[in-house]
Order: sequence, then C-alpha cells, then structure tokens
Amino acid sequence: MSITNLLENWSDFRQQHPSDDRPHREYKWAMSIDLDACTGCNACSVACYAENNLPVVGKEKFAHGHSHHWIRIERYWDNDGREFADQGAQFLPMLCQHCESAPCETVCPVGATNHTADGLNSQVYNRCVGSRYCNANCPYKARYFNWYDYPTTDNVWPEPMEQQLNPDVTVRGKGVMEKCTFCVQRLTVAKSNARSEGRSVLDGEVLTACQQVCPTGAISFGNLVDPLAKVGKQWMTQQVELNKDKQAKNAAEEAAKVRGYRILEELRTYPSVMYLEQLRESAI
Amino acid sequence: MIENSFNRRAFLKVLGWGGATVALSGCGNTSVEDGKEFVTSYVQTADYIIPSIGTYFNSTCAQCDAGCGIMGRVREGRVLKLEGNPKSSINNGKMCGLGQAGVQAHYNPDRIREPLLRNGDKGEAITWEKALGLINEKVGGVGAENIAFLTGGVSGHVKVLLKNYLDALGSGHHYVYEAVAPSIMRAANKRAYGVEMPRLRLDKAKVILSFGADFLGSWISPVHFSQQYARFRKADNGERGVLVQVESKMTLTGANADRWLAIRPGTEGILALGLINALAAAGLSVPGDVAAVVKEYTTDRVSKDTGVSVEHIGKLAALLKGRSPSLIIAGSAAEGYAHGSQNAAAIALLNQVLGNVGKTVEGSFSMPFPQMTPSAGSRQALQVLNDNMLQDKVKVLFSYGANPVFTAPASMKLKESLKKVPFKVAFAHYMDETAVEADLVLPLNSALEDWGTVMPEYIAEGAQLNIRQPLMEKLHPGTLGMGDMLLALLKQRRPDEYKGYEDFYSYLRNAMVSNKGALGGANADDDTFWEAALSHGMVKLAGSPVNISSHISANGLVVPAPFVEDSAYPLHLIPAVSASLRDGRNANEPWLQESPDPLTTIVWDSWVEMHPKTAAKLGIVEGDIVEVASKSGSIKAQVYVFTGIHPDVISVPLGYGHEAMGRYAKGVGVNAFKILDPVFDKETGELAMHETRVKVSKAGQRVIIVKDEGPAGGNQMGRKIAVRMSSDKVNLSKEV
Repeated sequence: MSITNLLENWSDFRQQHPSDDRPHREYKWAMSIDLDACTGCNACSVACYAENNLPVVGKEKFAHGHSHHWIRIERYWDNDGREFADQGAQFLPMLCQHCESAPCETVCPVGATNHTADGLNSQVYNRCVGSRYCNANCPYKARYFNWYDYPTTDNVWPEPMEQQLNPDVTVRGKGVMEKCTFCVQRLTVAKSNARSEGRSVLDGEVLTACQQVCPTGAISFGNLVDPLAKVGKQWMTQQVELNKDKQAKNAAEEAAKVRGYRILEELRTYPSVMYLEQLRESAI
Repeated sequence: MIENSFNRRAFLKVLGWGGATVALSGCGNTSVEDGKEFVTSYVQTADYIIPSIGTYFNSTCAQCDAGCGIMGRVREGRVLKLEGNPKSSINNGKMCGLGQAGVQAHYNPDRIREPLLRNGDKGEAITWEKALGLINEKVGGVGAENIAFLTGGVSGHVKVLLKNYLDALGSGHHYVYEAVAPSIMRAANKRAYGVEMPRLRLDKAKVILSFGADFLGSWISPVHFSQQYARFRKADNGERGVLVQVESKMTLTGANADRWLAIRPGTEGILALGLINALAAAGLSVPGDVAAVVKEYTTDRVSKDTGVSVEHIGKLAALLKGRSPSLIIAGSAAEGYAHGSQNAAAIALLNQVLGNVGKTVEGSFSMPFPQMTPSAGSRQALQVLNDNMLQDKVKVLFSYGANPVFTAPASMKLKESLKKVPFKVAFAHYMDETAVEADLVLPLNSALEDWGTVMPEYIAEGAQLNIRQPLMEKLHPGTLGMGDMLLALLKQRRPDEYKGYEDFYSYLRNAMVSNKGALGGANADDDTFWEAALSHGMVKLAGSPVNISSHISANGLVVPAPFVEDSAYPLHLIPAVSASLRDGRNANEPWLQESPDPLTTIVWDSWVEMHPKTAAKLGIVEGDIVEVASKSGSIKAQVYVFTGIHPDVISVPLGYGHEAMGRYAKGVGVNAFKILDPVFDKETGELAMHETRVKVSKAGQRVIIVKDEGPAGGNQMGRKIAVRMSSDKVNLSKEV
C-alpha cells in the first residue's frame, strides 16, 4: 500500500468509531474485565509474555520504563487518609483498549497503526518508523517501544530460551512500537477455521491468552456483533454502549445499579474494553 | 552402559505411545549424543501433526506442590507454552504465573547438562557410568545408618522407588524438608478435625475470615482456591461473599478483602477467642467448657491486645452470626509463632463453634496406594538432619528437590555441618547453593521432559493420580530423570528385582498397567488404559471418604498474652512468601523476576515493607537502604513505605538473595531466610517463621526503587481509573 493510496482512501483505512451508516459488519472484538473478580495475581501478564514473545528487559531497563508488559496490573490505594489500606487494593489489568477512535492512530505519520474492520487497533511492525507519537498520544500508556534489539540483547533469549518463542507471533526488532493485539494470531486462526466452514466464529471458540489463564475468570472476550456472545450481553446489561461517550450510568450517578464503565471515556476514545467496578461490603 | 541405555530408548518409548515422532523430535533437538542427526520428514507425519499447528499434551505442573494439570502446546518438536488442563479438578484449565514459567525452567540456559564431580573448587564433567559407580562405591563403604536422603515433598512412583532404594540400603533416614511447608497447620487440623488437609469450600461460604492465609497467592493450592473465590464473590444466585482478612502484613488475599484488619503480630488466637466470646454474648450457642475458656476475652481486652478496634470486632461478630455458613482459615501468618499451634487451635475452635465443620470444612479422601501419597515436608526435618550431621552420623548425603543451604537460617550453620559429611550427592537442575557444596552433582531432566506420577497433598474434588510425561525430547542428552536415576541405583542393589525394567518409563508403565483395575481401567486392555491415562494427564482414583470430626473441645487450649516489647529489637520481621518466588526455587525464571510484586509493584530486587508511621519515627523515606538486624544476622535492602502493614512489623520477601543458581537469580536481592531466629513452635517443633525480632537502621544510601507503579504511587489523582462501589448498590443476580 503506497502512501498515496493510503491518503486518498483514508476513510477506508481509518475506521471511525461505529456510527449508524458505518456499523461493524461481521466482527467487533471487545472485552470486559470484572474488577471484583480480579485478584491482581499477574497470571494474565505472564501468559502474555509466553504467548506474544515479550522480552524480559531486566532491572536497569525496567527502571528506565522500558518494560514490555502488554497487559499489566495497575494497583491503586484508596485510603482516604486512614491509617491502613483497610479495604485492600484496587487492581486493574491495563492493556490496549482498542479504542474505536484511537488517539494513537491519528498521529502516526506512516499509518503503521490503524483500525481493522474487526475493530482492532492494529500495529504494522514493518511500517513503523519509531516516531513514538502514538505512545505519546495514548492516554492509557498501553504502548511499548523497542529501544533495543532484544533478540540479540544478552540474557533476553539466551540459547536455548529462544526455543520457547511462539512462531505465530513476530519477534520485534529495535525501533518498533508494539502493544496488545487481542491475540490477533488466535483470532486469525479462528476466523479462518470458521470461514472454511461457512460460519462466523462462535462465542468461546477463541480465547485471548490472558482470558484463558485467569484463575477467577475475570476476563471475558468476544464478538460484540454476535448477539449470543457473553461479552455483548455483559455490555448490554451494564448499559455501556460502544459508540457513546456518556453512558446511562453517568446520567444518574445516584441511582446507579450497574457497575460497567470504560476508562477515561470523557476523552472520547470509545474503548473496546469495559471494566466492572470492584465491590466492597459496607457491613464490615 | 547407562549412557547408551537411557537416552535414545526412552525417547523411542515416548514415540511408541502415540506415534508422536514429529511432535517430539524437532529441529535442534535431534539425538546428537551418539553422533547422529535424525531428520524427520514432514512429508510423512502422523495424522494429527500438521506443520505450524500446535498439538497439546497433558502433564502435571512441577512449579509448586499443588499438582495442577497442565497442557503443553507443542509445535515442531518444541514445547512453547503451558496452559491449564481443563479436565483437572484442581485447576480446571487455569494457571498461575508461577506455573506458566515452567517453560523457562525447562529452557533455562543455566541448567546443568552433565554429571559433575568435585575437583577442588571446580566441577569436572564425568560420565553417568562413573557417577553411578561412584555412588555405589560410596554407599557400599559406609554403614547403612550413615546414609541420609534429604528431599522436598515427594509422591507417586518416584517416592516408591526412593523408599525401595532406602530399604535396599537398609537406611530409613529420609528427611522431607520444605522451607515454607504448612506443617503447623497439618498438626492443628489433625487435632481439630481429624484430617490434616480438610477440603475447604470457599464457594459455599458466605463469609470468609482468614487469619493470614494467602489462599489467592501462595497458600496450598492457590489456583484452585482462586476459582472457588470467584464463585464465592459471585454465586449463581447473585449473592456476594464477604472476605475479611486479619494479618500483620498484607498478602495478595488481604489486598482483596472487604476489610483488611491489621493485627498485632501473634495475637490472632486472642482475636479468635474474643470473637467466640462476642458471638456467645450475641446468643450463639457455645458449649460450656468453651464459654468458660473464652469468657475472659472481653471485646475491650481483645481490642487492647490485638489492636483491632472494638467497632470492627463487633461488626465482625455480627457478620459471622448473621451470615452462615462461614469459613475461618488459619494461615501461616497466624501459625508462625512459638505459640502457633495454639493460635491455630483457637481459630479452629471458632470454626467449630460457628458450625462450619461439615459445611465449609469438609472431610477428605483416603488414598489408595498409601506408598504413593505425598510425604509431608517440614522444617524440623532439616533440624534433625543437621543435628545428625554435627554428630558425624551422616557419611553419605543425597539431596533432591530441596535447597537447604539457601533456605536454612544462618543460625543453623548448615554449611559447616555439611562440611562434616564426606560425600554429598545433589540431584539438581541448577548449580544452586546446595549443589555448589556437593561432591557429586547429578543433572535432572526438566519437568517437561520427564516421566512420573504426582499425588497432590490437597485433594480438590476427588482423588486423582496425576501423570507427568515428556512434552518434548530432552534438550540436553546428559540429563536424567529422578526415576531413572533411582532405578539405576536400585539395579546396583537389587538387580534381580529391577533388571527387567530398561528404564523408569518401562517401570512406570508396568506399575500402572498391572494396577489398572484400581486405576479405573479394569475393563480396558493395557494399551488403551495407558494411552487414555497419558492423554488425560491423570487417572481418577476411588478414594474412600474420610469423615471430619466435629467434636468441639477447648480442652487444654491456652493462648498466651501478647508479646512483650523488646527494646533492643523493637520490630517484628515477617518473611513474606510471595506467589512468584515462594522459597526461591524458581528464582532463576526471568518472567517471575520481572512480574511485579502485586502489592509493591517492585521487580528484580528485595525490599523492606514498612508502615509510614514507623518510617517517620525512624526518619526513613522510600528507597532508603536500611540494615535489618536480628540476633542471628543482618541484611540490607531498600525500604518501601506503605499502609498494608502493622506499624510494629516490617516484612521482607523470601526467595531472593541467591548466591548461586543462575544468571537471573544470583545477586538479586537479599536472603531473608538467613536472619531468622531459631525459635520453634512449642507443639510441633517447627521453626516459627514470624518470631524473629529485628532492629532497623539507615545504612546511608538511597536508591530509586525499580517498580511498576508511577510517581503518584497508588494514588489516582482524582481520575476514575479503577473504580469501587458499595456492594449493596448493585444486584449481581441481574448480571450476565
């Protein structure tokens, strides 16, 4: 695809967040994460390292902010000045939110990050020139830059550790931006299998690595277009709509009976990840 | 002889089971040991092998003792990823981070690749034939009573062979040592419920009160408990269970509690008795002798002793009375004291009084084949071995599955004791601290290239025998499985009995197949039974149920008064068992080092957790390097200040501070095991892990802590990122 072609047909390549005249057709991948079930155990993060060939950068590079955890557990305290964190922590698995109107996409000078027809925010490694504009523009800090050529860096994948690398996923080189793909390699296989059988991917047929491993089943993932998909039903019960930036919940804060929300929704990024609020018992 | 008989043949046997030629022989891993390269053509492969498509094989996780079923994704002869076996009742297809890092244990660049014999300060590579011959010579040259075998927890057929070998030698000295074993809990459970490991039904409880049991992180069977926890938090009817965690240092489980109560260290038993008293006052029927024991524990006194507020004791009692059944769990934090058994007994009594026994605390199963049930490890075992070594009673020492030189407190002077043992053999994956001290080091297969059976100590749903099978060909031709080594050693002693078995695989298959009736394969022919067992990764056993005793008695229950201040060592040290590093045996797996600690988000180093009040008193800020000194030694580490810890307490995670082992473990952090004081639980004789008192002083340096949290710490600065609401505002039964 030449840059001319890209610019001339910009609207075909850049999917706007869905509107009535441009709905998602077959697939719209989305996620929901129940923060009341999430225990902050980090199993999802390790699964992502295993599935997506994430480099272990070591202490010094980690200190410089060069870590590559596509899904990371953010941990917040809500002490309100009390002596102890006596209501525990707030854990939040943070990953690329696959925004329908992604701030990272508009700033890429080479169109290396764009939106797929399935509603994924995709990163084309061999088009990326490493301007890092997308990183600067991501409000979720979900993008990770390869400051080094990790495959040739000492002790990242020393022999025979490189044999663990997943052949389905590119090993990225220096100067390339990367981030959560919703395990696109798994989605591609599932879609291909379904297509050869003349059907769509069924709910539960494809799992992301983080979802698959989660000991408490906090993560749901699926196709929002599919009326049978659990994730779609969750979005519906929580009255969170993909193409709105104000949800029913925000309208009536006091009467809220639902706990679904999207992070930094006011930025009008239209994320594809919905979170369910953590709960705490008031009787104790 | 050994060289030729094990490697290639064992490999061919694997192929025999399902024709998995291509699955197991991949590029780079051909049989180079005999100088030949085997190239497998993808033109003619087994039906189910499609190049570039992963095939899954079931096995059993070896990263901790929970015995989760794993499913290895194998492609082009290499295992790429471990996923949970959905058919295992322990983990039902789920995994923890520790378990997934099993591939990094397998592919670890620091694994030992051939037998090493000490020559001065160096290890010299020798042949297996020579190594096994040397063992034969050494064990033959000493009295049977002078041979000792130190292991971690063992079960299954390896345990059987080990026992047979010790019997063949005429030595009964098998020391089962686990540095962070729940041995005080086992004894307390046995006394209170009649079973060492009752089944806990978190999913049936409406309230869980946990005294320092980190069941979501590192306690007993965390993946299993995490799944129960999910159902406890969101039952099918929409009810949400309430979790209250009482401990002096916040664990991962504490961080998920509706209410986390910081308690003065060691006073857990007092709170349990106080709660019984409060419940009795609120009208719960309590047997007379129990009422008599608890009547002194008034809420005011308990609050004063424990530091838990009167308000919270009242609310907790009301919650426990109002919502039944509940579940009270005693964890290592309550049990780590000289009066740990008493604390555990008081906590069990609370469970009994609340009528939870039989509801959320259930009986277990007695296993068929008692010779294969897991041998329960303790810290006391090492103490006994150490005493024997000091008295020159040990001439040949074998060490397998334990790293005592790393995990023993400095006060034990284990390294010096080991010097008195003339011949030490270590079966090891890495040159860890214990292997470095050994005279002969025998390299083990990784768990992903080995045969075996595992019986978990905690029985989740029903009794099962887990199968461990190779997921790929051996990476290094010079390693051997523990079963193979024991078999070779047994052949030296009892050749007639064992010569029929070419290798451990043939022994295992024969042992399983000849007992197929008891292993659920009565009607199947041998091959079908065996292939089904391998394919499932386990066989279900018909365990007979063991009933739980519900007899309530406060007979002999005395809980001591709270600790007395020690002005020289004013703070309590809690050595924390983290979900990733546990006792440190997996410290050389980089995913675990780079996986941030859930509470502090620190990576690649040790730290000292401290309450802001304590830090202010000592003039310490985050990143200060402090010296933590106990009567038994001192360590230096960076301070992390946070509010999930009692002000009388500091905490240092275990598992860090390796002096050997490998590139990812060596020199990372400090070893908190070393400064533990030799204080023991009065009833079981176990090392009381939480009894160490320390003083903290600034060492004059300050560093920027390497951690995942941003400069705002855990503060959201007014943004609504992670949001929390009160559970009564929402109706979970309406949710999907």
